[in-house]
Amino acid sequence: MSSHPQLRLVDIMYVTRTLHFARNNHVLRMKFVLLVPSFEEFDILSFQVETNSDAGKFIMKSYFENYESLHDSSFEDFMAHQLSSSLCQGIPDNWNVGVRLSVRELSLVGEGSHRHLSSSIRLQIGSASIPKLPAHLCEVIVIQRLPLGVFADPFELQIPHKHKAFRDIAVFGDTNLELPSFRSNRSAVEFHIDAGSNILFMQNNGTEFNLLLPLHARYQPLDESGYSIVEIGEPDMLMRCSVEGKQHKQSCLFVSPSNEKAKSTSATVAWKIPAGMKAHAGSVSVITFVTALLSTLSIVYASMFWSGTKVSKT
Amino acid sequence: MISLKPRSILLISAIFRVGLILFGEWQDTLMEVRYTDVDYLVFSDAASLMASGQSPYKRTTYRYSPLLAFLLIPNSFISRCWGKFLFSASDLFVGLFIHIILKQRKVPDYLCTYSMLIWLFNPFTFTIGTRGNCEPIVCAMILWIIICLINGSFLQFKICVLERQSCNVVQAAFWYGLIVHFRIYPIIYALPIVIFLDPRFFRSGAKPLLSDWTSDQGKARQINSELIDKCIVCDVSKSTFTRSRILFGLISGTVFLLCTGFFFHLYGWEFLHEALLYHLTRTDPRHNFSIYFYHIYLNYERELSVLEKLISFLPQFIVQLVLILCFAKDLVFCFFVQTVAFVAFNKVITAQYFVWFFCLLPLILPWSNMKLKWKGLCCILLWMGAQTHWLLWGYLLEFKGKNVFLQLWMASLLFLAANTFILIVLIRHHNYGPVFRQHTDLKTTKTT
Repeated sequence: MSSHPQLRLVDIMYVTRTLHFARNNHVLRMKFVLLVPSFEEFDILSFQVETNSDAGKFIMKSYFENYESLHDSSFEDFMAHQLSSSLCQGIPDNWNVGVRLSVRELSLVGEGSHRHLSSSIRLQIGSASIPKLPAHLCEVIVIQRLPLGVFADPFELQIPHKHKAFRDIAVFGDTNLELPSFRSNRSAVEFHIDAGSNILFMQNNGTEFNLLLPLHARYQPLDESGYSIVEIGEPDMLMRCSVEGKQHKQSCLFVSPSNEKAKSTSATVAWKIPAGMKAHAGSVSVITFVTALLSTLSIVYASMFWSGTKVSKT
Repeated sequence: MISLKPRSILLISAIFRVGLILFGEWQDTLMEVRYTDVDYLVFSDAASLMASGQSPYKRTTYRYSPLLAFLLIPNSFISRCWGKFLFSASDLFVGLFIHIILKQRKVPDYLCTYSMLIWLFNPFTFTIGTRGNCEPIVCAMILWIIICLINGSFLQFKICVLERQSCNVVQAAFWYGLIVHFRIYPIIYALPIVIFLDPRFFRSGAKPLLSDWTSDQGKARQINSELIDKCIVCDVSKSTFTRSRILFGLISGTVFLLCTGFFFHLYGWEFLHEALLYHLTRTDPRHNFSIYFYHIYLNYERELSVLEKLISFLPQFIVQLVLILCFAKDLVFCFFVQTVAFVAFNKVITAQYFVWFFCLLPLILPWSNMKLKWKGLCCILLWMGAQTHWLLWGYLLEFKGKNVFLQLWMASLLFLAANTFILIVLIRHHNYGPVFRQHTDLKTTKTT
């Protein structure tokens, strides 16, 4: 741990989110904390470096290595507590870079049980002043946590022509396509989008990425009203840059956290999904069985009466 | 009257299917809505997993025998359409087998032609193969089993040391064991086949005598006491353990156990769960044509009692038993009515199950007294109407997000009613006659 006051996690005034990559003994970890002026409050950035750029490629994969299912509290803990510290080689201490990722728009497109979640992500790079920052390649990572009532079809997401802009997409968690929501667990979709090379060199007022995620509704638990409301919140976003280091390629991760207040007022979309009504249970069962019985009796009667006979043409 | 030769019909059907497959590929690439069935992608993925030495069950929702994945391995290195061509070829074989079976029973040419056309140019059937659904293979195998059972001439094995007739029973048994492993539902045909292998017809040294179609079909109503198998139970119990029956049972059972055992050895419990147990215990709460879907959904959160499970199984069991006891001697008709009833009373009904009885329909129509105008047409319209009605509510539920569960469930009740009605009408208008005649003078009379 560095003794520099800015680099100590305990000095962080606001909530940060960091990520813990794969437990790799050879990982060169680096911690960076930067205080960056932003529109309303300080954005604190921290990032972490790995020598092995493939380890922990999917952040949710690491999450599910540590946790069995997706819960908001576990996820928040995972993001907040998994921080290690070391310095990023070649980056000076007083580096001030503002990376801000925000959701400009979140909406649900379509009708019925199959819809698309449309989100518009804006990436802004504040004034940069790192003269000797090595060449780097950045990608934006978007993690959309899905509530219990909906799921994303991993096979649908693999269809290449639909998702040309994405470098990678993967679904983690419960990807069972058939079970109703009360028998399933949550899932999350992780997108990796190419942000471009050497983007930290220049100020950028805002690049926008549009995501269209196809979602499907699960069968909901029974409800008196006949509908179940499922809420989908904003995605979590970060940016990861791969820097060419002296010995190995390194990955630096940028997180642009918003504070708790902003998060609570962030947009959610509500999806109204039809659900069975408990009041129907008794009568539906009875009528179903009575109908089955009547059909059975008709067929039995017809078979016994008309087998072995010849019918005249009328 | 159409005077097309079977060869021409098959050729035109083949060209048409090739065209559809190519069109399907084009549509998949360019349009949002895919022509190819989702199941085909599942099979292909499973096949490529198998080709790389892994278990096909790593692919979620793959719930078939590994044999299917094995058949589709060329998808990975020849063309991804290989499976579709295979299924469409099976489709054509079904048409050919329909022709063979009807010709064996001396059905006139024009009726044979119509029957072939009913299968080959039925929009439901040609789309099912070209979209990549594997049911045509199942249908082809069922029809081949029927051919083996009723035919004796050109199916002998040179190496077969048993008599010609036993060879065919052996062959039928082999394919039967295989198909039960492949799809399970044909197990409902086990009892009728056993009854069918009546020693009065399956006598050693002689080919069973087929009772032919005659133009006397449906002259005056006559209750022929010799035809009514009132004492079918007595028949069965008197000479149950005949050679043909034992042979059939042993061979089909062995084939089934060997296949299952072999794949269990390769893929373990996952194979057993996905390919077999899933189908036996499947209760899907998601909406489908079955009358039980809403009942299952409403009760999904609690465990159904044994009594409830039994009650839902009872109608199926009773209907199957009665149909078998009444119609087993007329094997093809028995298969047909059993399949219709099985699908109608099943806990889950999807559109692909309809092919199971569509392939048998052309085989029973020459023996039906029902004219297309207007009874036949009414039946067709009633069945399609009930289906369309269900689909409309299903569309409102799934694509418009309206809570119409109750209406959808009532539509499925109507669909069962329509199926029952049509089944009864077909039974009523069918000229029941055993497939075989007796060798002795005690021939069953068929005309006035």
